[in-house]
Amino acid sequence: MAKGNSEHTHPIGESTKRVDAPDKVTGAALYADDIQFGNALLHARVKRSPHPHALIKRINIEKARALPGVKAVVTGEDFPGHIGLYLQDRYIFCRDRVRYVGDPVAGVAATRVEIAEAALDLIEVEYEVLPPVLDPEFGASPTAPIIHPELGQYVVANFIMPVAGTNISNHFKIRKGNMTEAWGQCAAIIERKYRIPHIQHVPLEPHVAIAKVDASGEVTLWDSSQSPFAQRDLIAQTLGINQSSMRVVAPVVGGGFGGKAGVSMESLAVAIATKVRGHPVKLLLTREEEFYTAFVRQGLISYFKIGCDASGKILAMENTFYWDGGAYTEYGVNITRAAGYSCTGPYEVPNVKTDSYCVYTNHPVGGPMRGFGMPEMHAGLEQCIDDLAYQIRMDPVELRRRNCLTEHSILATGGKMHPTGLAECLEKAAQAIGWGKVAPPSSPNKRRGKGLALMWKAPAMPPNAGSSAWIELSEDGMITLGIGCQDIGQGAFTVAAQMAAAAFGVPFESVRLATPVDTRYSPYEWQTVASRITWSTGNAIINAANDARTQVLELVANAWEENIDDLDIIDGSVVSFKTEKEISLKKLVVYGLPKPDGSGWLGGPIIGRGSFMPTYVTGLDPETGQGEQAVVHFTTGAQAIELEVDLDSGKIEILKGVAAFDVGKAINPEMVKAQMEGGLVQGISSALFEQLQLKGGVVQNASFVDYRIATTADAPLKMQSIIVEVPQADGPWGARGIGEHSMVPTVPAIANAIYDAIGIRFDGPPFTAEKVYLAMLDAGIVKE
Amino acid sequence: MNYHKISLTVNGSQEDVIVPSNMTLMRMLRETLALTGTKNGCSAGECGACTVLMNGEPINSCMVLAVECDGATLLTVEGLAQDGHLAPIQAALIEAGGVQCGFCTPGVLISAVALLRRNPDPDEAEIREALVGNLCRCTGYERIIESVKVAAKKQAALAFTTA
Amino acid sequence: MSLDSHPTLPEFDYISPTTLLEASQFLAQHAEQARPFLGGTDVLVRMRDGFLKPRFLVDVKNLPGMRELAFNPAQGLTIGSAVTMNQLIASPAVQKHYPLLAEACQSVASYQLRNRATVAGNICNASPAGDTLGACLALDARLQIYGLHGKRFEALSSFFLGPGKTSLAHGDLVTAIHLPPPKKGAVGRYLKLGRNKLSDLAIVAVTVLGWPEVELPSSMRIRVALSSVAPTPLLLLNVENYLAERTITSTSVLEAAAMAAEACAPIDDIRSSARYRKGMVKNLTIRALHEVLEKLGKPAL
Repeated sequence: MAKGNSEHTHPIGESTKRVDAPDKVTGAALYADDIQFGNALLHARVKRSPHPHALIKRINIEKARALPGVKAVVTGEDFPGHIGLYLQDRYIFCRDRVRYVGDPVAGVAATRVEIAEAALDLIEVEYEVLPPVLDPEFGASPTAPIIHPELGQYVVANFIMPVAGTNISNHFKIRKGNMTEAWGQCAAIIERKYRIPHIQHVPLEPHVAIAKVDASGEVTLWDSSQSPFAQRDLIAQTLGINQSSMRVVAPVVGGGFGGKAGVSMESLAVAIATKVRGHPVKLLLTREEEFYTAFVRQGLISYFKIGCDASGKILAMENTFYWDGGAYTEYGVNITRAAGYSCTGPYEVPNVKTDSYCVYTNHPVGGPMRGFGMPEMHAGLEQCIDDLAYQIRMDPVELRRRNCLTEHSILATGGKMHPTGLAECLEKAAQAIGWGKVAPPSSPNKRRGKGLALMWKAPAMPPNAGSSAWIELSEDGMITLGIGCQDIGQGAFTVAAQMAAAAFGVPFESVRLATPVDTRYSPYEWQTVASRITWSTGNAIINAANDARTQVLELVANAWEENIDDLDIIDGSVVSFKTEKEISLKKLVVYGLPKPDGSGWLGGPIIGRGSFMPTYVTGLDPETGQGEQAVVHFTTGAQAIELEVDLDSGKIEILKGVAAFDVGKAINPEMVKAQMEGGLVQGISSALFEQLQLKGGVVQNASFVDYRIATTADAPLKMQSIIVEVPQADGPWGARGIGEHSMVPTVPAIANAIYDAIGIRFDGPPFTAEKVYLAMLDAGIVKE
Repeated sequence: MNYHKISLTVNGSQEDVIVPSNMTLMRMLRETLALTGTKNGCSAGECGACTVLMNGEPINSCMVLAVECDGATLLTVEGLAQDGHLAPIQAALIEAGGVQCGFCTPGVLISAVALLRRNPDPDEAEIREALVGNLCRCTGYERIIESVKVAAKKQAALAFTTA
Repeated sequence: MSLDSHPTLPEFDYISPTTLLEASQFLAQHAEQARPFLGGTDVLVRMRDGFLKPRFLVDVKNLPGMRELAFNPAQGLTIGSAVTMNQLIASPAVQKHYPLLAEACQSVASYQLRNRATVAGNICNASPAGDTLGACLALDARLQIYGLHGKRFEALSSFFLGPGKTSLAHGDLVTAIHLPPPKKGAVGRYLKLGRNKLSDLAIVAVTVLGWPEVELPSSMRIRVALSSVAPTPLLLLNVENYLAERTITSTSVLEAAAMAAEACAPIDDIRSSARYRKGMVKNLTIRALHEVLEKLGKPAL
């Protein structure tokens, strides 16, 4: 048998079926709210601020405490510690001030949820209402009321730059090249302003957390989580518990999209549980609470000034971003940073000046959402690219062709681009949508248009975000893979099993996953965010598999008195290329093998370990944003849309959506395509329907009745997903992430298609039928 | 609040339970009978995650009172597979890749089963219309729609062999 | 929607009377505290939201006659109040004689919700956005009401007093909806605009029903009803008369649509602006009139 043959049996690039699907189609899959805790279970509810901004003058919890069935009532008095991922700017329960409508003020645990709910009405809170900040641009100005007077004293990560005495929680800058000179050389310059509304993640499973503190003070938290390890670290720190005394169990997650990353409502459940030792305490958000108290995608006001020469070469870009970070900033500060270093989009621009501000407002708390700032930033940028092209009478695809990143392009942060299939994505998307071909509308009262947009996105994370994995072999030759990442629907567990099978040398079916993730038993993982799991956990899995392989091969080499280089593990057996001997893993992985001379035994139970952290990322200069390697890598891609606008109603119908992304290597091609489809429809939904309607800081549409998302009827009539594979040097088998990227260019692709159809641009999504129709009226395209 | 003793058949099994007036069918399934396959996505009849068959027709179990189910026959996602064999729609959903986070899946399956019972060969528009009350945030719906088509073919093939 | 939505339904007593008299008396005795309960698709949502706090829900679905669905060419259609929208849609008599009603029911929310939602519930909620109200008005629906003084009939046209307000007195129960025999050759159209393609509430909806009436100058009677654009659903008698009095041309269709837009009194809310609603009343009326006229044999106006 030739050594290279092992390539044929490994499942990389095969569309294996999801490992979690059988449980999910039979109802067997256990989500956090499905776990049965028996009669000791208490139900928690939270008293929330009705004001966007106010001082708490007095709280009276006596009546609530006296209600039969109530076991605990807690307030901010009980928990003095700050919490926060990058910037510790939050108490678990408000202590002196409330900063958004929904800010937790008190918590109740009771024997029945109806009692807990009734107790909330008995809690009296007296407020002194303060003027709110409801616009990030105003919030950044010197005249705005200050929301966090203590900003200068907060603990903060060293790459986040808050401005004490203001509402600016992070100011990220790029200063590159010579702007004055560059503008002088431009043949065309466009300036635009866009406004991106707050939207919600809308996982179908609402947030839920169950916490229990036992008699000795050991804490267990079961929750729907993308970040069990980060939750262990942050909640334990804040409550003064040792991290090792806190255990987070994270069962099946019913959708995340970033909303279940970091710490949000979970800390409330744990805090309440500390007051009722021995009782599990469940906090389950209602769908309405989900809409107005879970992390929102931040609003954005963006200014772009972009210039190019007569040949279409982009020479300069000046961007200012005001992020509506909301009341606290779990992730917003790093979204601000990510948008800053990605501010040019996937183009080489020699002269760049960018200011990206994260601004405190009295809006719901901004968090990470699929794309981490990139959909919001690209929404404006990619419309500007079209407008720039039209201004110099160039086809927008041609302008992109001339400027899009290739290997060695110099990035805004000064580093160099790695190999990328961006140009191929552009060509394939343009071809698939029939770029340049005009089809007549389906009826006389419709207009048809096509649009295209590009994107790039890096895993936005701290430079020291690590992954780890272990592999243990059992008597039947199966391998058990321990990982700390989470499957939030994207398919992480399936891909992890494929990678373990391939790296170790067993069939896909021989891999079991040690799930659910449990911080007591699972290996460390920073968080399941940033589309980093296939890449980062994948590298850790390869390292763990190699470690276990080496142990197995050394054992067999010693037992057979052969050279380890002549051995391989293929389809669950160790084979020798030299002697053609073969032995099943079943026979050796637990009990070892006899020594060749029969004098005893070799080996023993096999456990492989592996970890990974990208130690090659460098910091950026705080004044110029320049540095050698700001991030690990970028996934790039393109989307194209064909749509029709109904002149009678303004309704938009998406006829066809095309996605083409360079994923480096598709470990599971059908699941990669599924990410492209899901992201496209989520993007379409955000483009056409979604907006958290905020009035005076109060969410007006906190339910599915009025926060509409795309249904089966709204999904495009046709979708086409195209995989491009230019391998990534630091990725497992060359793979990069794809989870978030697929909703990044959707809004501008649709906006560009609308412009193609009716010649109208909007300052931001959603492009509702009403907005489109009224704009057509104003433009004289239709008559009143 | 008054309580009621009710008898009903759930997935073929006879159940006698005592329920308070304000308990929805969804809560009874999840909390009293521990049939947690039926999911709570909104408690407002909007998302479809709690869809079950009541006397053969799909309903949002969050919008039905448990006490109304006295004498009723219910089918939940747990009752779809027979003797360890997946129903055609379950197998099709796996095959076509229509499962991601899985939270909408039980409701989608029940709605699809109901559709295929009343219309064994639905066209794409009929599938989209029948599933409009089952929100999914992960898949973009394409593979769910495809899986209903696959299941229709499977069922037709099954009917042909048994006939 | 309310930011104070409860995780569960508030506590109440569920009552299941066996006779109409018992139900009516109970409702009258607990006037402000008891509510009749049909499909629950509206009342349960509003209870969770904290807008309604009844002490009693009186399930009237099992009362005599409530599940009756009967058609008789002489008397027309009787729809018991507990008949679900899906049952109506599936009924051959409704499909054949009142397709407009089936079309309106079909536009409501989702299939699973229509297994609980009832036309009687839709009517008693008296939401201006109720999808079936326009069809019922255009079809001359009468309500059969059981009250403390026995059984009576009331025309739907006088039933709606405002959003959520009806002419029902304490102890009154709508037990059935009666539609007179269908007009010969009648065709209808329900055009509904929601924010997304299906399943939404109506932002604006237009119902058109027409049938041949040879003695009229137009030789046909055309009715137009509007939803979601006034405190109650509107049946536009002026438009009906205008269209009856002349030979219908594309100009008169435009004029009728303008009259419809003039007649409505929409508001700005989070679902839509008044300006858009007014524009859509006009455009949807034009489209619905054209479709109905075409089916009545007056194509290509």
